Amino acid sequence: MSARQPRFNQHLLIDTTPLPDSIPKVQEVGSSSAPLLSASFFIGARCKAYNDDFMQCKTEANGKGEMDCLREGRKVTRCAGSVLDDINKSCLDEFRKHWECLDNNNQQLWQCRRWERPLNNCVFEKLNLEKKIPGVPENETPVHLRKRQIFAHSVITQ
Amino acid sequence: MGVPFEALLPYAVCIGMFGFSGAALSKIRAMQNGGKRARHSVDQWDRQMMDRDRRLTGFLRGQTDNVKAPAGFELSNPWRLEPGFT
Repeated sequence: MSARQPRFNQHLLIDTTPLPDSIPKVQEVGSSSAPLLSASFFIGARCKAYNDDFMQCKTEANGKGEMDCLREGRKVTRCAGSVLDDINKSCLDEFRKHWECLDNNNQQLWQCRRWERPLNNCVFEKLNLEKKIPGVPENETPVHLRKRQIFAHSVITQ
Repeated sequence: MGVPFEALLPYAVCIGMFGFSGAALSKIRAMQNGGKRARHSVDQWDRQMMDRDRRLTGFLRGQTDNVKAPAGFELSNPWRLEPGFT
């Protein structure tokens, strides 16, 4: 019999058995996609070590890392939750404006630089987290610091 | 002499019709997307994130910035199955 690709569009199974008590419980991050995208670089700035550990664990496990990497995964979740908690406490208005703009613009960061600059300033002052894009060549300004965004729809919001 | 406005009336009609249908379509798209602009070029990552948003808020385009997920969120990710043949 030739193998065919599975077609997973008919049935869903929701398994409500919780995890065993031997695994410590961690509160899942409750933000949806736009706030997470908006806070992603700050989560990266604070949680780089934990994220790198988790990614290394998953890469080395070669597909079997779902159970083995739970510990690193818990650290990642707790750290990301702490960053979101701090942003909610200190910079909520700028954060909300930024992710509402992202939600309206297909989650494209270059359309919403106008609201990203006050958010970056606020988070840098209050939480000391800076957004850095890794891999920028030395003699170029990073794309989020440029005055003109070449792909933005409107001049006002870029 | 003045502007020959009767000659420009058909252009006004065309632009008006296009504008009205464009506005109506964009209003329908906004109503379908919870008052926001529609998503385009949605790839598998975006589909997965939108599915997670629906599990979190109940709407495909709903957003929330709570820190803690609602109770039962960690158990609501479904296994996708194929119908079994016996």
